[in-house]
Amino acid sequence: MSVMRLGYVHVRVTDLEEAKSHYGNTMGLLEVANEGNKVFYKGWDEYDHHSVVLEEGGVGLVKLGYKVSESSDLDDIEIKATRFGATVERMAKGDNLSVGDGLRITLPSDHVVEIYHEIEYLGTETGRINPDPWPRFRRGVGAPRIDHALITVEEPALVERFFADVMSFMVSERVIVSNENPEVIGSWMYCAGTPHDIAFIKGPNGKLHHFAFALESWSDVLHAGDIFAMDDVPVDVGPTRHGITRGQTIYYFDPSGNRNEVFTGGYLTFPDFPSITWTADQLAKGIFYISRELNERFTSVLT
Amino acid sequence: MCKVRVDAEDVEVEAGLEETILEALRRCGYAYRWGCRRGGCGVCKVDLLQGEVDYRRNVSELVLSATERDGGVALSCRARPRGDVTIRLRDERLKKCYGILAT
Ligand SMILES: [Fe+2]
Repeated sequence: MSVMRLGYVHVRVTDLEEAKSHYGNTMGLLEVANEGNKVFYKGWDEYDHHSVVLEEGGVGLVKLGYKVSESSDLDDIEIKATRFGATVERMAKGDNLSVGDGLRITLPSDHVVEIYHEIEYLGTETGRINPDPWPRFRRGVGAPRIDHALITVEEPALVERFFADVMSFMVSERVIVSNENPEVIGSWMYCAGTPHDIAFIKGPNGKLHHFAFALESWSDVLHAGDIFAMDDVPVDVGPTRHGITRGQTIYYFDPSGNRNEVFTGGYLTFPDFPSITWTADQLAKGIFYISRELNERFTSVLT
Repeated sequence: MCKVRVDAEDVEVEAGLEETILEALRRCGYAYRWGCRRGGCGVCKVDLLQGEVDYRRNVSELVLSATERDGGVALSCRARPRGDVTIRLRDERLKKCYGILAT
């Protein structure tokens, strides 16, 4: 076995107090720890120690953490990443609060990805014995868990090859220029049974387009939209549906301008999932299926 | 109250004490290119031709560098006018969004 899921997203925020209000009160994440200029959160349905790390100072992505199922996967990925030509270093237990030994890989796109196997177990809010379907007192959106991240990269085909060869991810959907010109300008990849655990679109290296929280239903997405209005959260697009992934969505911005998404739905993927292709002339429909319009922000706002 | 003038547009709006340039123009029904409206993306930068602004919230050096600030660039979603200001949009025209509803 190999990579199981996106385990954590570590982002920079310009003002920690404002960010805490957003991720705590608006998104309803649970603060589990803080350490210096960092705060650690988890969703109510996540059992590992944390899934979101906020670090004060600047904006944008610090790193993504992916959790593997066996400690031997670390050796395997280290060999493959080195062979691929990526920069790989070992990270030690304690480099990240509560996270064990692992790998820190710098992608060809300059993004940092950490691979780990151990992290402290905290349990979900509903427990493991005769659990209720959701915790009785949720705040704001009440996001149960994180889902995926979308990053921008100068060479999507190269980063796609990295995730395929080194991480054993599969492509669920791909955007190419045209049938005549199969240059990849976007790729959505999965390791678990969802439409995507990582995605990238062509753009500057090292940047974050968004990271997403999974919600249970379309009505939860609408409920999240109501909360965004109550808390005056700037909404980028939505509620609407994506053509790519078929998911239902709202894009919005955290108080530092990092784009977040609430996401639900989408199909199931299996190791034999046949990849779907979109051509660039249909990109707007692929991204926002209902309006079939891309706003300028979608491609220009990155952190 | 301070006045926000938009150069080359014959538009002038009043900004409240706590309002940013972008908030004041939006409240009056105007639109131009903006992004996250939270100081993170830099899409709403304008040139400050006259007057002074300040920033009540932290603005990352990654988004607006000291050189840009000194060179008269303002991040309009975070910049509050301190006295009357004149700004210039970058390669675009101001849009009046409310149309017939506008007074
Ligand atoms: Fe997404």
